[in-house]
Amino acid sequence: MSMDYVLLVPLLPALAFAVLTPMPRTVRLKLVPLAVGAVFGSLVLSIAAFLAVWPGGQQLEPAWHGVVTIAHIGDRAISLGLALEPMSAVMLLVVTIVGAAVQVYSLGYMHREERIGWYYAALSLFTAAMLVLVLSNDFLGLFMAWEVMGLCSYLLIGFWHEQEAPRLASIKAFLTTKVGDLGFMLALAVIYAEVGVFDFATVLGHDWSAGTATFVALLMLFGAMGKSAQFPLHTWLPDAMAGPTPASALIHAATMVAAGVFLIVRAFPIFEASGIALTVTLWVGLGTALLSGLLAMVQHDIKKVLAYSTISQLGFMFIALGAGSPTVALYHLVTHAYFKSLLFLGAGVIIHAAHTQDMRQMGGLARKLPVTSLTFAAGSLALAGVVPFSGFWSKDEILAVLLHEQQYAAFAIALAAAFVTAFYVARLWFRVFTAPTQQAELHEGHRSMVAPMVVLAAITAVIGFFGPTLGGFLGHGIPWPAFGTAAVSTFAAAAGIMLGWYVYGRRKSVVNTQVIKQRFPHAYGVLVNKYYFDLTYGYFIVGGYTALARGLASLDANVVDGIVNGAARTWRSLAALGWAFDRRVIDGVVNGSASAVRAAGARMRTLQTGSVRGYQTLVAGAVVLFVIWILVKGA
Amino acid sequence: MNLPLLTIIVFLPLLGAVTVALLGNARATAGRAIAATVSVVDLVLVAWMTMRFDVSAGMQFVEKVAWVPQANMTYHLGLDGMSLTMVVLSALLTLLAIVASWKTGKNPALWFSMLLLLEVGMNGVFLAMDFVLFYVFWELVLVPMYFLIAMWGGPRRQYAAVKFFLYTLFGSVFMLVGIIALYLQTGTFDILEMAGAGLDPSFQWWVFGAFFLGFAVKVPIFPLHTWLPDAHVEAPTAASVLLAGVLLKMGSYGFLRISLPILPDAAAEWSTFIAALAAISIVYGAAVAFAQTDMKKLVAYSSVSHMGFVMLGIASMTPEGLNGAVAVMFSHGIVTGMLFFLVGMVYDRTHTRVIAEVSGLSSKVPIAGGLFAFASFASLGLPGLSGFVGEFLSLLGAWASDIPVGWVIVSAIGVLLAAAYMLWLVQRVVLGSPSAAVESIPDLSTREVLVLVPLVMLTIGVGVYWDSLLRFTDPAVRSILAMMGGA
Repeated sequence: MSMDYVLLVPLLPALAFAVLTPMPRTVRLKLVPLAVGAVFGSLVLSIAAFLAVWPGGQQLEPAWHGVVTIAHIGDRAISLGLALEPMSAVMLLVVTIVGAAVQVYSLGYMHREERIGWYYAALSLFTAAMLVLVLSNDFLGLFMAWEVMGLCSYLLIGFWHEQEAPRLASIKAFLTTKVGDLGFMLALAVIYAEVGVFDFATVLGHDWSAGTATFVALLMLFGAMGKSAQFPLHTWLPDAMAGPTPASALIHAATMVAAGVFLIVRAFPIFEASGIALTVTLWVGLGTALLSGLLAMVQHDIKKVLAYSTISQLGFMFIALGAGSPTVALYHLVTHAYFKSLLFLGAGVIIHAAHTQDMRQMGGLARKLPVTSLTFAAGSLALAGVVPFSGFWSKDEILAVLLHEQQYAAFAIALAAAFVTAFYVARLWFRVFTAPTQQAELHEGHRSMVAPMVVLAAITAVIGFFGPTLGGFLGHGIPWPAFGTAAVSTFAAAAGIMLGWYVYGRRKSVVNTQVIKQRFPHAYGVLVNKYYFDLTYGYFIVGGYTALARGLASLDANVVDGIVNGAARTWRSLAALGWAFDRRVIDGVVNGSASAVRAAGARMRTLQTGSVRGYQTLVAGAVVLFVIWILVKGA
Repeated sequence: MNLPLLTIIVFLPLLGAVTVALLGNARATAGRAIAATVSVVDLVLVAWMTMRFDVSAGMQFVEKVAWVPQANMTYHLGLDGMSLTMVVLSALLTLLAIVASWKTGKNPALWFSMLLLLEVGMNGVFLAMDFVLFYVFWELVLVPMYFLIAMWGGPRRQYAAVKFFLYTLFGSVFMLVGIIALYLQTGTFDILEMAGAGLDPSFQWWVFGAFFLGFAVKVPIFPLHTWLPDAHVEAPTAASVLLAGVLLKMGSYGFLRISLPILPDAAAEWSTFIAALAAISIVYGAAVAFAQTDMKKLVAYSSVSHMGFVMLGIASMTPEGLNGAVAVMFSHGIVTGMLFFLVGMVYDRTHTRVIAEVSGLSSKVPIAGGLFAFASFASLGLPGLSGFVGEFLSLLGAWASDIPVGWVIVSAIGVLLAAAYMLWLVQRVVLGSPSAAVESIPDLSTREVLVLVPLVMLTIGVGVYWDSLLRFTDPAVRSILAMMGGA
């Protein structure tokens, strides 16, 4: 059976985008079902593709692949290819399931928006790009899809662009990720110079010297850090929460931000050839996981808690990569995609119901939003790492890999990050769902919003039991958790939750957090100021560049152009001087030829007045003279 | 049937220009119809040649007639993939400029006549394979552009027009010296014959310098660029489009057609210097663009930055770099053309180009706003659109070449800075709530949309399938590199 239908998986949403975008707003609005239908089409085809690859394993030949040469340059050709193999099959399911859930959810969440048609168009383009990214069989195609996703992220963050915050957040997201993308782009240049093509098989099979491998891997890592919001390129992601919540669920939680991790998984042999790059990846991940987790503890905006949590969880995936296990990183990517998008969708219902994102104004939502609170609980427990929810299994594997690699310091930091995770999850949960009710009129979300959450919650509850199956499918073993690590990580999670409950959850004697803030003002100050990253970047980079640009603009107008104008003025004065010299000196001395000189002077004067006709005559004259001279010489 | 197609393509607009001028303002309606017809015919002929073009052959449609045999001067026109790319740009943008300025009320006969005369010069430059012919067309271009700026321009039009004219003339005087020197050395004016003549390297060195001044002003390369913002700001929309879209490319075309093949040893010696200036142009242009408060000036400085990528590609002297250079030339032509058209369309409605006074286009005039955003993303080099192709290939070529890595990295940063000034422009102009100036303006008319649609299609087409452009440029690039001795 021909498997060319795989091509339709990204093509359907791309077509939805192409149909919706040129339409006027009112028509677009009616075409929204088309976009939803497209993503469901992709979902069905992805399931078919997945089954076609089943049972997977370490296959060398992809189940399907297609390649098109887009450029011939000298004796080289640049091609873009797509390939279906176990890893892309798994990712197709992740992207289309979360994508379909988000699109259905958005029908309810965005139904009051006048520009919902545009929202769906952008969402469709994003889905198409992400599907191309996971199917890409070469680094160039991956990069191109990566950049288009960046555009969609920009468009969706800035969806409410009439307000200033989304507008600024969108440009910040685009530029910050673009900083990382420079690394990715230069990595492509090095690959091209070194290998001459971009396809995975050739590039990864290349005999990389350790030095070049380190160079390429670090450039790619930089790109991945931008996309996956790792320290110190993380500051765009919390701001990106200014976009519509379902878009955040898809792009800024489940899929696009994971693309950095996915890139490193794809390029892993280069990282292995380097060695150093793995160590750097590990420590970037460790730093991000812990530091970002700490920031999640002090946020009051429910979406920002989830955003910092996403950064932290992506850090966990980087840890797995750095420890040498791309399969485990991918495993956590998959579980995280489901439970974090679930949490975001839950947050959307909560925000709709409470009309605020500030958790201090929420409370007691458990009784008012029964389904949401249950599904949110599943997501929270998965995030905190409580058995049997999905996050427990994949996070446990990460810890196990660190132990296995005897990275004890890293293990300790990751465990601390896991503890912090459990704490901020508990803080969020108790504040939102069990704290005293502050609002009377609260309603559960519309069916179209609740149904996708139920599906995602179900996946989150059971997917952990399929870890070893997934490992087999990918061709690398994912073992069942060892009792020791499972016990330690469960203890960390339980401790975090208990502490969260102690501070925020008890009915009668809630701890006065004001006291903690007053006792540790410096630590608290550092956290609420987000380690001063935003301030530093804003002041030195944005401010510095703006000042530099203004300085250069003024230099350009006054000095560079000033020299030009000065030269023109000088020439004019010289010409005037020559004219005066003509008239007074030569004219006085050589009376006989006075008339001839005067004529010459008159000609000179046309020069200084800047009359263009004069110059044209001059040039035309010069050309004519030149031609005559040649004729004479030739004859 | 063996029509002298290239001659027709070059001189048909001249016939049109004279006719339109003779008809005068009294019969300007007929005049502009003739102008449109002539430019359509020209474009159709160019399109026909594009389809007939044999990518495996070198120069095609060649016309070579003795002109002044005593001096080995020939009337020599020829077309390779690079010339074709540029002539497509010139013919297309001329037609679109005529359509876009359809409603010109001030002295319309002269206006359309000058646009056609400009096309004569532009087509001629890209098709002439004889130095005298090349030089005549090169200088011819100045005349209509001078009048377009000086007669239909903004408040400081006289200053800008004279500056444009003199600055370019200043450069071309050096070019003339170079041409004469080459003639005296080789005894021919034929550009193709001169290639690979194996001239003495030290002679090459200073002749390269002379041509460099001529071409660098036109491109323009930092620090010879300051005529450009003035000319752009004062020029009427159609003139800005053609100035940025086509005239700048004459400079880089000169490097590719003349400097590299004829003076390969010098080119190798000059390459690091050119790469450095290219990198500086990229970053400097981008930074200065970022600080602008006038939309047109911003786009003008962005041209300095983009043309830097052309020069970077040229300096690399690799297949990737040269293809990238021509790809940027083409893409910058259509994308910056789009941006200037849009700025002009917005200006026609709001009567301001001050960025701070225009905002919220996408809410009030979604078609204009959407296309503005599209052009901006094409300009900042989004993959999948044409801007990416050339810049990426230039960087690939530069990285693989002898250019010091530092300059390549500086250039790559230009990609980020382009996103910064372009998005910052979109942020203020396209997004946000409508400003007073935008409050009650109509969206684009059908005629205006028709001007932009071909450019949008080309931007996507080239960006997705690179070979749609590179299949023409690559053979030309190969032959340039072959003439350089396989460098």
